[in-house]
Order: sequence, then structure tokens, then C-alpha cells
Amino acid sequence: MKKRALCGLLVLIMIVATACGGGSGAEEAGDANRTKDQVIVAMGPGSEPEAGFDPAYGWGAGEHVHEPLIQSTLTVTKTDLTIGYDLATAMTCSDDGLTWTVTIRDDVVFSDGQPLTAADVAFTYNTLKTSSSVNDFTMMREAVATGEYTVEFQMEHPYSIWPYTMAITGIIPEHAYGPDYGQNPIGSGRYKMVQWDKGQQVIFEANELYYGDEPELKKVTVVFMDEDAAFAAVKAGQVDIAYTASSYSGQTVDGYSLAAYESVDNRGFNLPAVKESMLPDGTIIGNDFTSDVTVRQAINMAVDRNVLIDHVLEGYGSPAYSVCDGMPWYSEENEVSRDPAKAAELLDQAGWNVGADGIRSKNGVRAELEILYISGDSVRQALAAEVGNQLKLLGIETSIRGTSWDTAYDEAQRQPLIWGWGAHTPMELYNIYHSVDVYGLAKYSPYANSQMDDLMDQALAVSDLEASYELWKEAQNHDDVPWIWLVNADHLYWVRNGLNVAEQKLHPHGHGWSLVNNVDQWTWN
Amino acid sequence: MRELWKNRRGRTILGIFVTAVLLAMICLAGWMWSDEALLTDLSQKNLAPCWAHPFGTDFMGRDMFIRTVTGLSMSIRLGVLTAFASAVLAALLGIGAAVLGKTADSVITWAIDLIMGIPHILLLILISYAFGKGFLGVAVGITLTHWTSLARILRGEVLQLSESRYVKMARKLGHGAGYISRVHMIPHILPQFFTGLILMFPHAVMHEASITFLGFGLSPEQPAIGIILSESMKYLSMGYWWLSLLPGAFLVAVVLLFHWLGHSVSALLDPDSAHV
Repeated sequence: MKKRALCGLLVLIMIVATACGGGSGAEEAGDANRTKDQVIVAMGPGSEPEAGFDPAYGWGAGEHVHEPLIQSTLTVTKTDLTIGYDLATAMTCSDDGLTWTVTIRDDVVFSDGQPLTAADVAFTYNTLKTSSSVNDFTMMREAVATGEYTVEFQMEHPYSIWPYTMAITGIIPEHAYGPDYGQNPIGSGRYKMVQWDKGQQVIFEANELYYGDEPELKKVTVVFMDEDAAFAAVKAGQVDIAYTASSYSGQTVDGYSLAAYESVDNRGFNLPAVKESMLPDGTIIGNDFTSDVTVRQAINMAVDRNVLIDHVLEGYGSPAYSVCDGMPWYSEENEVSRDPAKAAELLDQAGWNVGADGIRSKNGVRAELEILYISGDSVRQALAAEVGNQLKLLGIETSIRGTSWDTAYDEAQRQPLIWGWGAHTPMELYNIYHSVDVYGLAKYSPYANSQMDDLMDQALAVSDLEASYELWKEAQNHDDVPWIWLVNADHLYWVRNGLNVAEQKLHPHGHGWSLVNNVDQWTWN
Repeated sequence: MRELWKNRRGRTILGIFVTAVLLAMICLAGWMWSDEALLTDLSQKNLAPCWAHPFGTDFMGRDMFIRTVTGLSMSIRLGVLTAFASAVLAALLGIGAAVLGKTADSVITWAIDLIMGIPHILLLILISYAFGKGFLGVAVGITLTHWTSLARILRGEVLQLSESRYVKMARKLGHGAGYISRVHMIPHILPQFFTGLILMFPHAVMHEASITFLGFGLSPEQPAIGIILSESMKYLSMGYWWLSLLPGAFLVAVVLLFHWLGHSVSALLDPDSAHV
């Protein structure tokens, strides 16, 4: 028996020792055969597009927006997130907002040599309208090629932020589009895909027929690996730039430095803004505690965002006050200064009095919150725990619980859930705050404000994009606080010394392809 | 005390007593610390073992000693509960197969073969998923997968007994089924039952750890030993060895203690086997 006990311990020690041992061999390998015109990028396994590189099935669009790289787009978002041109040369919107006319360059060819014309653009949009699994094209009635290089979009209803949709819609060739397009994409973008080893890597090479400036890096290899594998690859010198998480930020690797790119990849939680009630279909929504607007304001005031950044994100982040911090449509009115004393005072005045057990209550409703997070996401778990700790000091009883997306959407109708958002389009504000369903409440957390709804509707209805920014801003100016925004998490990368990744746009939600939006401008020193 | 120490039987009894007290203490401590195990303090995260935190702290600044003990405590309680339920199930089905006639026997042995034919962990995942994961899912899953081998042993035992001379004679003498089973059968089966029950603990504990490790059990903030170990995997490459080594070693220790307990009890109840 003793022997067995000893054996068990020895085996365990050996397993741990081998697992730990991988860390010691930091070396600068592969330097000699590395050339200056290529780069190897490590991304998470979730970044590999399941359905291939087809814009109709999520490439570039969807939850994690980025530039499609292989395909050209009509417009692009510039580094300040305003709109610039890629294929387009001019763009006008009729006064009623129902017709967008876009003229495009006449010197563009696909990588197979065929010219790109307005017919391809119209084909792309009409195809995506019927088949896109991720993008909303319901506002567009039809795209028509009115000339060889002029395309007209006829809208169902005015949609002022249409250029942001155009910025993520890669143009596909009408003559070479079919069911296997995602595996063999042909586009007119800066790079073409030459090899895809599923589950491992994708290799891009510069498109020699590209109409813009020739990229310095001729070959871009994207490898997909888990966080710890990516870190091991960095240590072994096998990749040039690799995504990483803040938990690794205390490590150092010779020949690499840690780069943090600012993002609008925010984390925050919802607070149901209606009282607990049952919908006609039997689902229960709302929360008696958080339905009190004073409670929501007090929570917003009491949360210490800087502590969250320092302790959960290791300092790599910025405080978030809205879902769109730093975007042209962000209103600074969202900002709130931390004041726990005033928060407590507000709650006292509203009748939420501290009981004998230190927990507030009012008319028999206890101030308690169970904050949900998605199991397996350690950052969200730590945020939930720390927010819970902070709110305890305010006299709110908190606990946390892990859940999965199977049930999280329903559960968030009744209690707070830690979410991650952040996109390069104002439509996200609309999706989160605008009432949608038949019961007149917002989709992800019950809330409705008819004034905000009206302003956002107006913002979509104006024909001038610049003017719409002001309306989006105005829409955010209220004190309802149905969501508490906590932090914008910087996107962290191990970058090999000498690699220059140019100016990065504020990264949106999704720690992946956004990095290589501008890979054509990257250089080696 | 000295008398007890003199012979092997005494030493075994003493050992059983000490082991049982130790396991009970872990169980009690974990039960008392169930709130402390959830406390987070992000200013104290990723600390290596020290006096204040003998097992170090994890990425949310939770004390790993408290978490480990709480996790083991839950494993033990769950293990005892499920092993007991499983053993009762095994006794009912095993004896039922032996005494209820041919049809019942073939149905039950077929069920035993079926369950033994499916890999344990797979069936465990299926059942616990079907019962909505969580504590209930894990408990039902382990109970429904662990009864088979004990049931088969008890069935064989009862079949053999009912063919033995003194049982046949008792029947001839006119004793009823109740009398025979009470006087002649149960005393024979009890040792088998108890040993089987105690030897089931380590299995149940290990399977609880594996299913929570795979994420089919409890919510990740709960201090289950499997959750602790699966979380620690992420931090191995950063060199936080204490997160996996110490809880892992304790899990092995508890399982071995139960194993030893089972063998000791079986040696006491069935002295014949003690010399094998």
C-alpha cells in the first residue's frame, strides 16, 4: 500500500514537472532563415473562419468585424473610425435617404484577371441580402448597377450609417462565386489566399494585381493556436506576433516585447430596468431591485473601474463609460466620476436602508444581485467577482455564478450578466438600447426609453452621416443607466523586435483579425 | 491503547479510526469554509505558498488551501452519498436478480452488461447532462454508473447461497423466505456489501473530480477539486505550479486513504482474505 501511495505522488510530481519544464527554453530561433518580406501571426483557434473566407458567411462581418483583406470593400473605416474610400470614388445619398449612389474605380481587377464592375458590386449585395447568415441587410431593397462603374442601392427605409455596412462587405466576383467560394476565395483585395490547412494555418500572398500601393510584406501566414501554445511558440521564436492575455503580461521573452493596442472591446453588465413580471408567453423578466433607476445610478457611481483595470487586466485597459468609447458617435456625457459616498447617499434617500445584517432593503425587497458570467472566461469571472466585492461595500448582497450562452440570454432578462461588446458601427447602440420586441423592450436586457428610441430612429433617417453622429450622441444623454460599462480591454500581443505594425485602429470586440487590418502597411526595421 | 497496538487486528482498527477521523475533519472543515472558499481578493492574486496562504492563491486571489479542503470536502460528501446510493441500488438489483426468477435475472444482468459495456465517463457525462448538470447531475450520474460490479457480485453470492445445503435444509424444515434471508443470507452478504460500498468511495471521488474537470459538473466559481485542477492547467506555462501540484497531491492522498480504508475494513470483516 505504501508503495502505491508513493507511486501516485511520484507520477503527479512528474506530470507537473514536465508541464512546468517547457518554460525554461527561451531562445531566439529561426532568425537566420527569416526574410524581411513575410510575417507569421498567431491567432486564437476561434478566429479561424468556420465557413471559409466568404463574406456571405461571416468573413469580415458578424460579431467580430474586420477588413476582409482578400476582398475589396466600397468604403473603409479610417483610424478615427470615420468613413474613407476603398473601391468607391464618390458616394451620395438622396434627400429622402432611400437611394445611395456609389461610383467605383475603373481600374480594378480580381486576382484572376477579370475586371471588377458595378455588376459585381450589385451581385454581392443582392447575394448577401438573400444568403448572409450574419449581417443584417433588411434595410436594403435592391442593389442595381446603373452604369459600368456606378451602383445604386435602393433602401427599404433610410439608413444613414450604410457606409459602415459597406466598410465590412467584401466584394465577390459574379463570375467565380459558388458554394465552394469560401475555400477558394477570389477577390480584388491586397492579399490572396494561397493555402489553407484547416485547423492550423492560412497563408496569404500579396495580390500583384492590386490597384493600391504594393505591400511591403509579401507573405502573411496566420497560425491558429491556443493561448498557451501561442506563448510557447513565442518563446521558441516560431511566430513574429502572437495574441496573448493579460494574465501573461508578467512574463518576459527575449527578442519580443508586449504590445497593447487600445480597443473598444468593452466589458460591462446589464441591469434589467423593469420590475419582475411575466410576459404573456410565460417567461419571467425584470428585477425588482435594479428596476429602481436610483439603484442603477448608484451602482454606476460606486464601481471603481481603475481597480478593475489594475487587478483584472493588469493595467492593460481603459475605463469604459459606454458601448462605443472613442468612436465618432460617443458622447462624453456618459462619463461618470466615482463617488461611493454619494452613491450610498442616493440609496439612503431612495429608501434603500441598511438593515441589521448590513444589507439594504426597501419595502421587503432585498438589495441582492447574482452576477452571471460565461464559464471558462476567466477575465469575465474576475470582473464579476471584483464588481461583487465592490458592491458589497455599498450594502448590496452579491454572488456570482458561471453560465453558458445556451441559457445566458434568457437569464440576462432577469439578472446582470457580464457582456463583451464593441463594434465599428453605431448600429450597436441601436441593438442594445432600442426597443425591438413585441413587448416594446430592448433585446438583451429589458429597458425602454421612447425618447432615446426616437433619437436613434432620427439618426438613421437623416441623409447626412456627419449629422447622424450628433443625433447618436444626443440619444445617449440620459440618466437611465440600463447598462454599467466597466472596462475596455486592450488587445495584447507579443511582437518580435523590429516588426512595426503601423497605426492600429481602435480594435473592436474579438481578439483576432482586426490586428491585420493594416498588414499591408507593416514593415520590418 | 497498548493492547490495541500489539496485534495486527488492533492496529488495523486504530488505523481505520484515525483515517475516518481525518476524512471527517476534512469534510467538516470544508463544510464550514464553504463561504470563505468563494471569497476573492484581487490584490492578493497568484501568490506562491507562504505562511498566510499555505497553498498559495489563484488568479482571483482565492486561498487555495481553503479551496482545496472545500473541494475535497465536497468530493468526499458527494462520494459517500453516491457510493451509498449506488451500493443500495446494487444490493436491491443484485438480490432481486437472484431471487425474483429467470426473467428478472436476465433483465438485470442485461442491464449490468449494458452499463458496463459503455465507457464510464461517457455514460457519466450523458446522465449528468440529462439531469441538468450541477450537483444533482453529478450525483445521479455517479450513482447510476457505479452499482454494476457490486450488483453482479451480490447476485452471484445469493445464487450460490440458495444452492447451499443448509439453506436447502432450512427450506425443507419449512422456514419461510423471510426467515432464510434474515438468518442465513444477510449475514453472509453484509461483509461483501460493506467492502463494496467503501471500495466504491475512491471511484466516486475520482469520477466527481473528472467530471468537474471536464466542465460538466458545477459552476466554475465553486470549489470542486476537478474545477481547481482544470483551472490550474491554464497557469502551468506561467510557472504557478502550486495551483495544480498541491490540490492534486491531496486528491491522490484522499483517494488512497479511502482505498486503504476499504481494504482494512474488508480484512476485518472477512479475516480469510487478510492472509492472502
